[in-house]
Amino acid sequence: MIQSSFTERNLRILFPLPAIVFIGLLMVFPILYTLYLSFTNWNLTSGMEPTFVGLNSYLRVFSEPRFLHALGRTFSFTVFAVAVEVVLGVAIALVLNRDFFGRGFAKTLLLLPLVATPVAVGIVFNLFYDPTIGLLNFALDALGLPQGRWISSENTVIASLVMVDVWQWTPMITLIVLAGLAGLSEEPVEAARVDGASEWQILRYVTIPMVMPVVLTAMILRLIDALKTFDIIFAMTGGGPGYASETLNIMGFKYSFEYFRMGQSSVILVALFFVVLLCSLGIMKLRASSEN
Amino acid sequence: MKNKIVNTVLFYLLVLLFALVVLFPFLWMLTSSFKTQVDIISWPPKLFFEPTLQNYRKVFEEQDFLKYFFNSTIVGAMAVGLSLLLGLPAAYSISRYAQKKLAVFILLARLMPGISFLMPWYIIFSRLGLMDSYVALILSHMLIALPIVVWIMTTYFSTIPRELEESAMVDGATRQMAFVKIILPLSGPGIITATTLSFIFSWNNFMFSQVLSMERTKTLPIAVYNFLSYAEVDWGGVMAAAVAIMAPAIILTMIFQKYVAKGLTMGAVKG
Amino acid sequence: MKYKLSKIGVALSSLCLCAGAMAQTGEIRVLVANHPYGELLKLSIPQFEKTTGIKVNVESLQESQLTQKLTTEFATKSSTVDVFMTRPLQEGKMFSKNGWYAPLTGYDFSDYPKNIMNAASFGGKTYIVPLVTEWQVLYYRKDLLQQAGLKVPTNFDELEAAAQKLNSESVAGIASRGKGAAAVTQASSYIYNYGGQYLDKGTAVFNSKPAIDAVRYYGKLLGTYGPKGVTSMSWENIMPLFQAGKVAMWTDASVFYGQIVDQSKTQIPVANFGIANFPAGPKTNAPFIVSSWGISVSSQSKKKDLALKFLNWAASKEMAIKGMMGNITMARSSVWDDQVVRSKMNPGLIETRAFAAKNGTAVDRPYMSAVGEARDLIGELLIESINTKGTSTKLDQMAKEKVGRVNELLQDSGEYGK
Repeated sequence: MIQSSFTERNLRILFPLPAIVFIGLLMVFPILYTLYLSFTNWNLTSGMEPTFVGLNSYLRVFSEPRFLHALGRTFSFTVFAVAVEVVLGVAIALVLNRDFFGRGFAKTLLLLPLVATPVAVGIVFNLFYDPTIGLLNFALDALGLPQGRWISSENTVIASLVMVDVWQWTPMITLIVLAGLAGLSEEPVEAARVDGASEWQILRYVTIPMVMPVVLTAMILRLIDALKTFDIIFAMTGGGPGYASETLNIMGFKYSFEYFRMGQSSVILVALFFVVLLCSLGIMKLRASSEN
Repeated sequence: MKNKIVNTVLFYLLVLLFALVVLFPFLWMLTSSFKTQVDIISWPPKLFFEPTLQNYRKVFEEQDFLKYFFNSTIVGAMAVGLSLLLGLPAAYSISRYAQKKLAVFILLARLMPGISFLMPWYIIFSRLGLMDSYVALILSHMLIALPIVVWIMTTYFSTIPRELEESAMVDGATRQMAFVKIILPLSGPGIITATTLSFIFSWNNFMFSQVLSMERTKTLPIAVYNFLSYAEVDWGGVMAAAVAIMAPAIILTMIFQKYVAKGLTMGAVKG
Repeated sequence: MKYKLSKIGVALSSLCLCAGAMAQTGEIRVLVANHPYGELLKLSIPQFEKTTGIKVNVESLQESQLTQKLTTEFATKSSTVDVFMTRPLQEGKMFSKNGWYAPLTGYDFSDYPKNIMNAASFGGKTYIVPLVTEWQVLYYRKDLLQQAGLKVPTNFDELEAAAQKLNSESVAGIASRGKGAAAVTQASSYIYNYGGQYLDKGTAVFNSKPAIDAVRYYGKLLGTYGPKGVTSMSWENIMPLFQAGKVAMWTDASVFYGQIVDQSKTQIPVANFGIANFPAGPKTNAPFIVSSWGISVSSQSKKKDLALKFLNWAASKEMAIKGMMGNITMARSSVWDDQVVRSKMNPGLIETRAFAAKNGTAVDRPYMSAVGEARDLIGELLIESINTKGTSTKLDQMAKEKVGRVNELLQDSGEYGK
């Protein structure tokens, strides 16, 4: 008869316990503190202590057009970036999926943008995008193509930021999809080939549908991070020109450290948290139902 | 036959294009780091120039770069090490006992916007007198590393058949002994992946480090901002600092690339 | 008798010195900005440590990050900062409201211009010692103006004419900050010269006719003759353009002059870069001249006596002269009259400062606690004007709305009408 010790019987609690305690300690207080502040009107410029005002700060923030615009921009930036990253990422994965000379090297290259420091990338791209002395406009001009205002114009700033995000994060999608493609069974493709289908048809009707669950998973992961994008927007435009690239995260930062409206910035951060939470849950549900 | 050659040429052109797009910013940063400010901002852009080491001299001598490098390494290593200590058992438990709610709780840390941590943490750490030490930084970076470790290792453990530890337990070992003696040794690749990835994310972290570090404990990403002062932008210095910051992470990645690639896809393929 | 007294005197003073020395060994934490004077302080600190025996933990940060860090520390009442550099016009009101500055009673402020001291004092007490000063100037390319047969513009009409003549596909006629909040300080001189202001007696008045006229002029100038994408440009974007020869004239603060005449930073011979008084407007010529940075002791400091020692040293006349010799424009009046300094300092700086000191305005932004938000609001006006080259029909309506919001901010912080 095997006697199980106290430890063994309660392993399911003891093993995760240190992690739970750690996260609890480090995360619970900030969550509660932020929630508490969101119910106050604490503003450092008034020199007064925080006072409880119930939902007042929520009302003031939500009725502010700037908040709604930031919310919209958070979505448009995220959807735009993730859509391009998924399409491009899958395409590149399909291209890299065959055996060719230099495949290992290409896969290594793939990882480089992912590990680049976002803040440094942002600062460097600022110079690249400068309309007058930047390399991009120079190259376009040399090729006879029209130049642009990039991050200096309200009309093109989101697209320009998306380009930087795409450069940095598309490889993540590619890698995940590549691994997924590697795990696919050969039979359906072989069968289709035997039936006389063209390469394009195989791609469209066999390969892509089979790898779709993996693509969706990659999309979820990217979506969560994209909603919270901070470093590159902060380093490149700070939310400008004007407020044209201000997402919720950036707006929260501004309200905290430039306007010193601690109560209202907490509202913005709470809102951002729920946006990320709801989007994650929503897409997870979608993926679960698509797998059935 | 002709079609095949055309296809192959096109294919390689595509790959080349892809490589150029990926590498271009790095190459530009690298070459700019050896240029003088004048050459960097000159118009039209200079392809041929006289290289200079003055930017790197500034970065390493004037800016005390080695100190930042040392700090980033210590904070990263400690944060990752401690996260492994806490995260490996937790991941094992989640994998073997299907503790979905627990997994969500740990991943919740990933959903919160970083800014919301700054002031509360500042209050806690300064009241505890931990500010002028690495402790505050290490703890904050652990909050980044721990979810990554758990997320990757949960999936990884799921690929190891239960029979392995169960047969050991039949032979008289306790589950925890089986975990340490059998499962962990088999988890080398997964652990390397989790370590490399979380170290890289800690290395690149800007926000937490900026608020929670003191002069003694400043980390690398902050060093880049040293070149953006009140009345001067030292582009040469910025480029050299950027290269110096990214080089270790890139070298690390290239060494462990197989594991890094696997780690990034972990949890996606198995779902 | 005398001999005995002096003996006692020597004994007493040596006792005091001993006691003083014991109190002096200690450690303080100092935060400075990534500013030329901050750099100078950092370099000179080992000397201070040697003479006083006080150990200094100095940290330098970029200006907005400095404010963030200080705010996080002070607001959570858990700060260990003892001395810090501060911006009187940007955070002075807010910091003093929250009681974060320690009052500097007994400090001798006679060497500083009166109007600058107004921004360093609140409620009758003084909290900041001004360190550096800056004023608005016109930078220009002597060679380009010469080639076009132009004299240096002395008023806004001449400025516009010169900008038009000098503007071309490859060179922008004139540049000035267009990036919203950052532009507010540079646009201030334009507004003053039209006879307008941002605030008057605690009320927002930048929708007055003179102010709107100035905003329109600013927009017309930059929208027509400015560099591409100017609405997202601050000094750090314009300076490289100017140094690369892509801009003919540039209005901004005097503090950049040292960079501009640094030959290692540009291919253009630096003799071609000139500095001139800011041009006059229709009403007057009163460009801003302000103390951009000062130094203070934290009210939460537990080592105020040591902190004061540092402050006294950092703001001393000796250090100020050191700064001036390095082309850092200091706030102390006396150092500008020092003969050695005058012989070494760029004459353009001396001239333009003398002009600004005589006629200038001591604020360059709405002077209030919620200045960050107010600057964003006013910045919107400037951007709208630049985007429409000053012709926007929405400008008056927009200005009225922004004035209303700034007044709200003033009311919320109890500064309205004061």
